[in-house]
Amino acid sequence: MTDDFEAQVGELRARRKKHLAMGGVDKIAKQHERGKQTVRERIDLLFDPGTFVELGLLAKDREGSDNAPADGVVTGHGEVDGRQVWVIAYDFTVMAGSMGAVGEQFKTARVRELALRYRKPIVWLLDSAGARIQEAAGSTFAGTGWLFADQVVMSGVIPQVAAMLGPCAAGTAYIPGLADFVPMVKGTSSMALGGARLVKAATGEDVTDHEMGGSQVHCYESGVGDNEVENDEDCIATVRRFLSYLPSSNTETPPHVDTGDPVDRAVEGLDKIVPVNPRAAYDVRKVIKAVFDSGSWFEVKPTWAKNIVIGLARAGGHSVGVVANQPMQKGGVLDSDAADKAARFIRMCDAFNVPLVYLMDVPGFMVGSQVEKEGIIRHGAKMLYATSEATVPKVTVIMRKAYGAGYYVMCGKGYQPDAIVAWPFAEISVMGPEGAVNIIFNKQVEASDNPEATRAQLVETIRAQITPYLAAGWAMIDDVIDPAETRRVIVKAIEQARDKKIDRPWRKHGNIPV
Amino acid sequence: MTEVKAELVGNVWKVKTQAGAQVAEEDELLILESMKMEIPVTAPRAGTVKEVRVKEGEVVKEGQVLVVLE
Repeated sequence: MTDDFEAQVGELRARRKKHLAMGGVDKIAKQHERGKQTVRERIDLLFDPGTFVELGLLAKDREGSDNAPADGVVTGHGEVDGRQVWVIAYDFTVMAGSMGAVGEQFKTARVRELALRYRKPIVWLLDSAGARIQEAAGSTFAGTGWLFADQVVMSGVIPQVAAMLGPCAAGTAYIPGLADFVPMVKGTSSMALGGARLVKAATGEDVTDHEMGGSQVHCYESGVGDNEVENDEDCIATVRRFLSYLPSSNTETPPHVDTGDPVDRAVEGLDKIVPVNPRAAYDVRKVIKAVFDSGSWFEVKPTWAKNIVIGLARAGGHSVGVVANQPMQKGGVLDSDAADKAARFIRMCDAFNVPLVYLMDVPGFMVGSQVEKEGIIRHGAKMLYATSEATVPKVTVIMRKAYGAGYYVMCGKGYQPDAIVAWPFAEISVMGPEGAVNIIFNKQVEASDNPEATRAQLVETIRAQITPYLAAGWAMIDDVIDPAETRRVIVKAIEQARDKKIDRPWRKHGNIPV
Repeated sequence: MTEVKAELVGNVWKVKTQAGAQVAEEDELLILESMKMEIPVTAPRAGTVKEVRVKEGEVVKEGQVLVVLE
């Protein structure tokens, strides 16, 4: 009987070995030639060493053939910085990572079920030709698609990351479409609702998958991708970094990390970064790096809608979401894309208990016929909605300009910040002094013997009224601070609001403008 | 050849380059004024200025070509 026992275990070992070998030596060589890592190399990078537990290694395709080890998708869980994370990783060396019936109905569904049951994040490593057409072409298509419904149920409950490491064609592009964070590898990754061949058949357009849906499209033009990265290693390091700022689920708070940067540190050098002249541009990212914990700044969507800067950072070790106007791009004016970018980020932070810090220097929303055609009112309303809806601790620092509805969406007083402070040269007003003079005193200026001198004098009169001291005198803002105190004020405000509890009227859900 | 376009509607406040000038990436080519902000327009890459297509005081539309580099 000993022989039988060993033979049986031996067969198991052989089966495992075959499936661990993925699509075989040639396919793996081809994967490497394309500059891509294999699914198992990627999983080794994603998880802390020795922590990966695989489920469904022995799966085959629905025919039970020998051609589809693991049915082309590796699933399981492991640890990222000691915390459990689940993974769905498509294997391009097996039938081009196409999504088969076994993989979809049993393997990936199992991961979604268990990750949600345990309230742990899911990371997709996407490198897939899309649905396996030979299995899906038929009206049994009627039984597919619930992966997206699952994703929607999980939205705001567990963090979802879609790492783009190869193609992600057709309907599966909705995986990143619904995810919280979407890094894209430059050159090799792409996503599109219809792949190149389908597009050619459907419309006649001749375009490659890369031209249509590479990172140069999605991280720069469409805003579907978040961060463009150089290669697979960078991509997975970026995923680990992103997760480090978030809790495992919405029932927890983000991990506190002692960064060693003193809470009381005076912020040096702001006088050299921020011009007092409200018209002059500067790079707000320099302010962010100076204020928050050293080395903690992780910018999200850095190459799209650059007139607003968003990202994760730490303040006294607390994870925070930063929303900052960027005067260096379009003068920091808010437009449709900027409002969309900020709104989605604010809602993610709010869902996962990450406090929000608004660094305000905004000349307002863009005006004119072009932006009205884009529907800037409905886009701007998303940011209003998100900021208003957020119940995490909110801190507002008015650095310079706080004009019009820009002041509202950047968490002005009406949006219940836990602290709202201004720097001494802040300007808070429904509009800039020049615009105000044109509207309020137009007749007076026209009637003047010296219209330009009158206009300049009126501008100065109004400018004197929009300093922060009038608002501080009314206690509409909590304080006017020395910019060097900004860091301490932010940390103290977050800690002050630690036990924040806000009760709102019951509703099924609000109706956010989309 | 690279066309440098206006990112938003505004007027040309200062032109800081001229045809024939050598520029490095990130050099300021001109400054637009819009929404009461001075908005620097910088060179997307190093090169030679082939043409400046706008004058100070001119109103430009979003997407309008301001400077051509080669």
